Amino acid sequence: MGTHKPLDLLPGTLDLLILKALAAGKMHGYGIAQMLKATSDDVLEVGESSLYPALQRLLLNGSVVAEWGASENNRRARYYTLTPLGRKQLAAERADFERMITAIQRVLLAN
Amino acid sequence: MSKLLRRLRYWLHRDRMDAELAEEMEYHRSMIVGDGRLHAEMGNSTLSREDAREVWIWPWLESFSQDAAYALRTMRREPGFTVVALLALGSAIGLNTSLFTIFNAIALRPWAVRDVAQVVNVNRFSPQGGGDFSIAEYRYLAQQSHSFNGMIAMQNGERVKLDERPMQLTYVSGNYFRVLGIGMERGRGFLDEEDVPDAPVPVAVISHQLWQNYFGADPQMVGRTIRMDDQPFTVVGVASEDFTGTNSLRNDIWAPLAAKKRLRPSDPSVQAWLTAPDFCCTPMAGRLNAGVTRVHAQAELEVLINQFRDYHHIRKEHTQIVLAGTSWIETPRKKKQVVPLILTMFLAVTLVLMLACANVGNLLLARAAARCQEMAVRLSLGSSRARLIRQLLVESMLLAVAAAAIGLAVALVVPSTLLHRLAQDQAWRAVLNWKVLAYTIGVAVVSCLAFGLAPALHGTKDAISAALKAGGSVDGVSGQRLKLRSVLLSVQVATSVILLATAGVLVRGMQRTQNLDSGYDVANVNVLTIDLPASQYTGPRTRALTRDLMAQLELVQGLPPVGLALNAPLSNSKYSTSFRPTDEPNSRMLQIYVNDISPGYAAAVGMRLVAGRNFSAEDSGRDVLMINEAAARRWWPGESPVGKTVLTNNKMCQIVGILSDTYANDLSAIEAVIYLPITGQRGAPAIVVHDRSTGTVNRIATIVKQLEPRAEVRAESLAASFARQLQPSIYGSEIAGFLGLLALAIASVGMYGVFAYVVGQRTREIGVRMALGARPAQIAWLVLGSSARALGAGLIFGVAGAAAVATLLAHAMPGIQTQDPLAYVAVILLLTAAVALASAFPARRATRIDPVRALRWE
Repeated sequence: MGTHKPLDLLPGTLDLLILKALAAGKMHGYGIAQMLKATSDDVLEVGESSLYPALQRLLLNGSVVAEWGASENNRRARYYTLTPLGRKQLAAERADFERMITAIQRVLLAN
Repeated sequence: MSKLLRRLRYWLHRDRMDAELAEEMEYHRSMIVGDGRLHAEMGNSTLSREDAREVWIWPWLESFSQDAAYALRTMRREPGFTVVALLALGSAIGLNTSLFTIFNAIALRPWAVRDVAQVVNVNRFSPQGGGDFSIAEYRYLAQQSHSFNGMIAMQNGERVKLDERPMQLTYVSGNYFRVLGIGMERGRGFLDEEDVPDAPVPVAVISHQLWQNYFGADPQMVGRTIRMDDQPFTVVGVASEDFTGTNSLRNDIWAPLAAKKRLRPSDPSVQAWLTAPDFCCTPMAGRLNAGVTRVHAQAELEVLINQFRDYHHIRKEHTQIVLAGTSWIETPRKKKQVVPLILTMFLAVTLVLMLACANVGNLLLARAAARCQEMAVRLSLGSSRARLIRQLLVESMLLAVAAAAIGLAVALVVPSTLLHRLAQDQAWRAVLNWKVLAYTIGVAVVSCLAFGLAPALHGTKDAISAALKAGGSVDGVSGQRLKLRSVLLSVQVATSVILLATAGVLVRGMQRTQNLDSGYDVANVNVLTIDLPASQYTGPRTRALTRDLMAQLELVQGLPPVGLALNAPLSNSKYSTSFRPTDEPNSRMLQIYVNDISPGYAAAVGMRLVAGRNFSAEDSGRDVLMINEAAARRWWPGESPVGKTVLTNNKMCQIVGILSDTYANDLSAIEAVIYLPITGQRGAPAIVVHDRSTGTVNRIATIVKQLEPRAEVRAESLAASFARQLQPSIYGSEIAGFLGLLALAIASVGMYGVFAYVVGQRTREIGVRMALGARPAQIAWLVLGSSARALGAGLIFGVAGAAAVATLLAHAMPGIQTQDPLAYVAVILLLTAAVALASAFPARRATRIDPVRALRWE
């Protein structure tokens, strides 16, 4: 695995992954990136150029809210929390994504 | 919280939001650096931040600016189109805004008083036609009514001389300034105790304008003594700048009602005016108490008026009171009078706007056709049709906005110039306020949609078909567009016919008015005005001068017919007096116009003696009078009034003769007039003489100078006064003519555009026809014929519309002859000529098409 270079995300999946990460509790932007990287065994590396527009989009849609707080190293950081709407969105997008993956798998496994 | 609100919140706090985003991303970076993993992935941070920020910005806002930039480029690329469109639209919007500005200044402006919503004008209607209140009646109502916080009375438009300059004075009740809550620049308004008929106080309030222009903004103005008609008055206050009075006239000076006794000490009718219970015609207004409805107050006033009439044994009549707001348009009588006129004018400028819109719409349509290929390409590349329509609408909107700016510039200049020239004695001030701005924006938006939407829809529809045909010819789908263009062309022709025909009718109507028989021998009369040192000339001196002058003019041999009068003909100065025929016992005291004349007056101005006898030199001071035919018809229809007695100015007078009718003061109507033998009691006379030679003027001036060396004599021909009277109507017809010509110009340009487009579209067809041997005349006919039906329909609708407008006009301007076939024929010929001219150049171009090149074109 380590020899592979990080993969580009499938389009539209970044919002889903952020929502999933936030489902565990509030987190700042860097934390989200770290968590995605860690839980995917370094496969998913999300840069700021895609992370922050995605976060702004979720803020605009009302899926998450942000508040300032102290970070682990005692600096000011912005923490994101899922809203009830965000929770619903996560469930819905997750279901869609699983249907899509199943479908793709079926196609790939067909002979 | 909805998405819109979140966007709005972002927009309001965008600086803080951006700073927070930057800080957050900075933190992110520092953490990465802290992890010791400097990575290629850390790209351009500014760019990333821009990407994140853009999420909040409306996507269409961005593409709007793209559209606008694109539209500007297109407009620059086609300067001819842009200039024509802007000129047409700009002048049309300018006209609309100008008219609205004038309308706003004249009719919509309420009085500049405190809490004007509670202030109402009191209008009276009775079977005799009504006509305001007596001052005694006003005092009774003001005292008895519980509906009002205060009631005021005012008498407009008395002309006085302030030193030597003519000014307009308004008499007001003592509580006027207090009840209305009028702001004062200096000093105070009047007090109730300054308006007591038995103890008149000579005090005055002057207007801000007079204070500035005549008194040089004297800081010591309050307390200063001014001389009005040679009577001293003490200035107690200067009104604030925004207060121009409570009538449409220019108000220079205000004085208490009772002060008229001080200003006109020798006029016995003043006492009656102040105290007689049935002396009519003083307007009244009031401030309603909070919570009192107009209906309630009306009912109360009607009851009180009947009580008052009972008490004073005045014949009962059914009186109706109508309370109305203070702006001009709300006054019931004015409403009936001006609404048709205003409607006509708004109709005219709306037609011009419609014409301009149709014109620009047609040009846009032609351009949309030329851009069909471009649209088709953009559609194929994935643009949505909505996106294309939006882009075309943005182009129209830019045009409309630029045109609105031009329109506002026009409206800044034209209305104030016009009002200044036409209405010097009025208080109307043209200002650009929010109403005018809102109106202009409204007009611009409506016109933008009117000229932009249809071409955009049609243009893109064609483009879709063209795109489907993969770049094929668009000839097959142009049918519908042709139809729209024909409709627009018809509209243009029809509106210009309406405007031109109406202008023609008005201009020719004016020419007829210039030949109007005023009742005077206008061409051969000179009017000599005697200017006297007013401070020394009071009643006894003017009386002596009048007597001596009359005697001298009689003595001098060889003078043409010459006479004296208090008011020269058509001089716009009016005197009225009370009047009641004695053979009708219960009739009401009426106001009637009066002039004092010498025995020679009638012959000098060319009036005829219809019945009875003329005045003689011995009549001066006797209780005799003459009336004109209009008065005879009104009170003694079918019988001879000669020998009857009337009560006028509290005196019984006998009618000795009837003079022919004239337009006495202005040219609006022939009214009933009574003539009294001139005494000089009421002021210095004017001299009228039936000869326009300078020799005669000099001879008379010498006679005057001998009697009074300090007198100045000015001569003016009656023809000049007559022309001055006609001036407003001349301006009116000039404006109508201008509108007509503007319409013609816009329509011609529009038609030229259409023909040029037809030639461009049918180049190939024309080429084929030429190759097959068509003669140039046939080609020209092909070009013209393509629009012949539209032109014909436009002419027919135009003539029908003009006839309808003429009916409306007949209501708006009584006296103007509106059935004028000659004007219609002339207009149709003019328009046909314009069509021929507009098609001539494109047709010429068509006949010069080189068949070979035309065929090779595709």
